[in-house]
Amino acid sequence: MVNAASGRVYQVWRFRELLRGLVVRNLKVKYQRSLLGFVWTLVNPLLTVTILVVVFSHVVRIRVPDYWAFLLSGYFVWNFTLQTLTTGTWIFAEHSRLTRSVAFPSEILVFSAAGSRLLEFVAEISLVLLVLVLVHHHGVPASYAMLPVLILIQLVIAIGLSLPIATLSVFYHDVYHALPIALTSLFYLSPVFYPASMVPASARMVYFLNPVAGLLTLYQDVLYGGQWPSPTLFGATAAQAAIVYAIGYAVFHRYASVFAEVV
Amino acid sequence: MPSSTATPASSPKSSDRAPAPAVELRAVSKRFYFYEHRTSSLREWFIRRVLRRPIHVGHTAFSLRDVSLRVEPGESVALLGHNGSGKSTVLRLVAGIYRPTAGDITTSGRITAVIELGAGFHPELTGAENIRLYGAVLGLTRRELQGHYDEIVEFAQMRDFLDTPLKYYSSGMEARLAFSVAVCLEPAILLLDEVLAVGDREFRERCLERLRAFHARGGTLMLVSHELEQVRDLCSRGVWLRDGAVVMDGDIDAVLDAYRGQR
Repeated sequence: MVNAASGRVYQVWRFRELLRGLVVRNLKVKYQRSLLGFVWTLVNPLLTVTILVVVFSHVVRIRVPDYWAFLLSGYFVWNFTLQTLTTGTWIFAEHSRLTRSVAFPSEILVFSAAGSRLLEFVAEISLVLLVLVLVHHHGVPASYAMLPVLILIQLVIAIGLSLPIATLSVFYHDVYHALPIALTSLFYLSPVFYPASMVPASARMVYFLNPVAGLLTLYQDVLYGGQWPSPTLFGATAAQAAIVYAIGYAVFHRYASVFAEVV
Repeated sequence: MPSSTATPASSPKSSDRAPAPAVELRAVSKRFYFYEHRTSSLREWFIRRVLRRPIHVGHTAFSLRDVSLRVEPGESVALLGHNGSGKSTVLRLVAGIYRPTAGDITTSGRITAVIELGAGFHPELTGAENIRLYGAVLGLTRRELQGHYDEIVEFAQMRDFLDTPLKYYSSGMEARLAFSVAVCLEPAILLLDEVLAVGDREFRERCLERLRAFHARGGTLMLVSHELEQVRDLCSRGVWLRDGAVVMDGDIDAVLDAYRGQR
């Protein structure tokens, strides 16, 4: 079991050049021949953030000071998760020729989708940090040092959820229909536009079973609050990420060997 | 079972020491499951669950039955047979794209399998970028590829088109580029699945030249082709498959004559 796992890791490492090549390809194909390029990637989330700010500070009042800063701290993290999962569902169908004719560890396809999205996220969150530092905190809170760890947890959760969803979509095309519905539900059930502290204390245990809830709260504590997150929440979310990844990878691994025959 | 020992004594390296076979299949069977639920729905899934009908498998068919084959380093073997006789399945099993249902396969040395020309090519990328990506697909590191890069470009004779996106290439040019990458990489074992019919006559001639040189240097070649004269020219041994079993294995001329007679 351990042997098989380390063999798999070695396989992925052997094909690291393919991972790099696919990440670069994804970005190149997306941004070439586009004058505004990265601006388009920002337009959609910024528009959504603007609407959320208007609605939840003037119509339905959510009493959070500097609500816009609160939203910015979590929204791009949510957007990353959403897009990684959505791309993930198509990834094996999109690369069916490759899967049928080359022997390579196919999780690389999922990694590459997450990887290219991650580079975009890093650019987005840098802009968010800049704005928060200049306008919201007027300084750099020490807790921002946590950010690389948070990004790592975020990546592990996104890949851990993406692997089984992508696997399932090879066999059942229902996933294409079900995923948007599931993601819409997840949006409301995660603290994207409201703080998790508004959730009734009695329901919070269940609420935080969703790993995205913990992740977003960590981001909001660090970026918006400028505080160190509670060790309990941090430990629990990191553990959740590891569990999600282990289960997701196990599901993927169970079926990966027949992908070449099915896609 | 016909024995697979009718190996011509001409393989250049066979006298060095008792070498491990380049490729060995021991009693290999491959059964395919036809995943009839590929596009089926959750509704049907529930119905089948309730009625206790099988969910995953429509029916199965053997593509290979108990095939044993030993290929020594430096041999050039042609797989002959009608469509659906299991030739491509053998190549995919050797390449590691499929896993055998029974039996086992050992190989020694790096394998390059060209099952579909240009799997992994992307139309929006330039010729140069596609060469790099295809090299990565075939498992090379950047340094390894760099060593072969000029040779590939030279062989394809497409220096003028390197910065042109692939979508402006003719299909012949695209195939030429893919083939050039595959033959210039100097693997220990080269697997070709009906990909020798690419490009114009002149390019095809150079391909054959290249493959002869590859063979002369001790490379192991396994190929599937319906161009029987080409096969006679390139290979010293023929393996004739019918309905997933070896009908005849031996000197290429003898096997070709028998195969033609039976057709």
